[in-house]
Amino acid sequence: MPSQPVEASATAGISAVPGTIHMLDELWRESGAASYGLEREQFSVILERVAEAQNFGLAPGAIATRRQQRDYFCGLRLADLVLARACANGHPGAWEHFLATYRQPLTRAAIAISGSETLGRELADQLYAELYGLTARDGVRRSPLDSYRGKGSLMGWLRTTLAQRHVDHHRRTRRELPLDDPADGFEPPAAIPEPETPSADLLLLGRAIEEALRKLAVEERFLLAAYYLDGRTLLEIAPLLRVHEATVSRKLHRVTGELRKQIIKNLQGMGLSKPAAQEALDADPRDMNLNLKKILQISQLNAFQEKAAP
Amino acid sequence: MNTTSQLDLHPDAESLNALAEQALAAPEREQVLAHLARCSRCRQVIFLAQQAAADAETSAQVAATRHTAQFGTWFWNWRFAWVPAAAMVAALALVVTLHLRHAAPAPELAKLTPLSESAVPEPLPQAKETNEATHKPAPPLAAKSIAGNVDFAARRGTPEEFAKHSVPSTAPTAEYGAIAGSSDSSHTAMPLSVESAPQPVTASHLQPEPAVAAVQQDQQQFSGTLSAGAAAPPVSLKSMQAEAYTAHARRQAPSAGPRMMQQSAPAASFDMNTQQQLPELTASLKARNANPPKLPSGLAVVSTAIAQNLMLELDQAGALFVSGDSGHHWEHVARQWTGRAVEVRVKTVLNGNAAPAGGFELKNEAGLIWASADGKTWTAQ
Repeated sequence: MPSQPVEASATAGISAVPGTIHMLDELWRESGAASYGLEREQFSVILERVAEAQNFGLAPGAIATRRQQRDYFCGLRLADLVLARACANGHPGAWEHFLATYRQPLTRAAIAISGSETLGRELADQLYAELYGLTARDGVRRSPLDSYRGKGSLMGWLRTTLAQRHVDHHRRTRRELPLDDPADGFEPPAAIPEPETPSADLLLLGRAIEEALRKLAVEERFLLAAYYLDGRTLLEIAPLLRVHEATVSRKLHRVTGELRKQIIKNLQGMGLSKPAAQEALDADPRDMNLNLKKILQISQLNAFQEKAAP
Repeated sequence: MNTTSQLDLHPDAESLNALAEQALAAPEREQVLAHLARCSRCRQVIFLAQQAAADAETSAQVAATRHTAQFGTWFWNWRFAWVPAAAMVAALALVVTLHLRHAAPAPELAKLTPLSESAVPEPLPQAKETNEATHKPAPPLAAKSIAGNVDFAARRGTPEEFAKHSVPSTAPTAEYGAIAGSSDSSHTAMPLSVESAPQPVTASHLQPEPAVAAVQQDQQQFSGTLSAGAAAPPVSLKSMQAEAYTAHARRQAPSAGPRMMQQSAPAASFDMNTQQQLPELTASLKARNANPPKLPSGLAVVSTAIAQNLMLELDQAGALFVSGDSGHHWEHVARQWTGRAVEVRVKTVLNGNAAPAGGFELKNEAGLIWASADGKTWTAQ
């Protein structure tokens, strides 16, 4: 989104911008914050912090105009945001509403994510305990609901948080494999065969593939990773790319075709003729010492300043 | 940041959820997608959350479909019951409609609304002249006849004068025995316009002084009725006479004995059975004199007819009652005539005597006649 000339202060003191006060008043009334005991000033502070954390949805360093600020605030799920903050503050009415609205859907989501009713209920109960602020840090009760900023729906945020908990738990427990009893049928590992030295053509092919993958666009790399590495279906990938699954299929076909051309082009640039480059592409992948997952993962890293929700 | 370790720095749940819900702006979306392209953990998270959302949506749709299907199944299971139920409802509606259509109309009660003096118009001079001309040839008879009452309506302001005209009529003594054969010249002297007068004319011969008092009472209590008859512009002389007759007959109610005898006299002259039963009727009438008659309606009697062991009486509201036991028990006769009944009498032939076949006649305020043999079933004449 192109940023426009400075028209108003970006984040600090948005209430001081003319016209914004009236907008905040309007948003405060529409969000129903008063029913959870959130005063107008508290509501304004919450919005300021949310906007500051996301820079009104703009790129870091960009300064939001008054219109962009208004669009950002109007795009927030204010009712969910107010409920989450009221729950984090321990408002009984807010918790009552939260439990009535989200308790059952959240348990069902946990069961769907974990694939087991027992694990799902356990997961949901654990998250509830965290949301209620049973975990304290530096003597202060902390609730993950404080990290909700109203960008998406609260239910979606809860589902994603559950999925994070489940995946992290799964990865953690997978590493903790029980040790076998050494006296019980201990077999020494087989001798690792020394890798054969790949041919010069295969080395060139590996380098050409690596270069071609690095030049792919972000969306194309995500598509290849999700489809080929994770084995996701077109139907699962399509919503994340905001397109129909048929379009995903066409994109996949186009990306692989262009990738092939780019590899041949890279091989030709490395001194191989076109027939030799095409012949090199016919090589058996098992003969190659190439970690595609690793290649995709080191491409264009962008650090996220925020860690996952605790 | 270690490029090989992806577990430490990840987009938070807010960003991943916003990407799945298409709520991220383009720059932030690019960042998250770039991370997803290289982070299998976050891809797994976002696909799991997406799968859970799809499951919830599917279960909601299934629940909605099941609800619709249940309603459809319930409706389909009752499909055979709807037809007879609809037929029953239709039949019930038909019965109710027919019942309402054939229900007898409630008897119309006459209203006695006294009009103010200012609302009573003066009778037309032409009518006054006609009345005077009608009665001039026989001034003494005017007071005796019912037509005199019509004249009274115009002259009600002078009761003394009316009394003066009425006093001579009290000269003949009311002798029951002489009544039976009385067919004096008063019948022939009656104006032709007075059609319903023959019997009351005879009665008026026998009216003693109470008639004058009754006239004065009528002037006070029922001037509205009489005035209404005189005030209504389209009302003909005939209807005015009928009204006057109504008042005349009504004021005779306290002294019903002589009047009823007069009315039953023509029948007695023909019907030997009735003549034989005359003493019995006379006794009952005497008893009625001792105890003023009281109809089931509680209203005063305005007209009476007795014949063939039957006594018919008409009350002030125009309701007809019949009695077979000399007035001890009364039965209300359903209304089979139009308008308000003002007179009931024994059916007569041309010479004023009772018809050989007996029967009764009923006249409404418009002068229309209905006849009946048993007093209960009436047919228009």
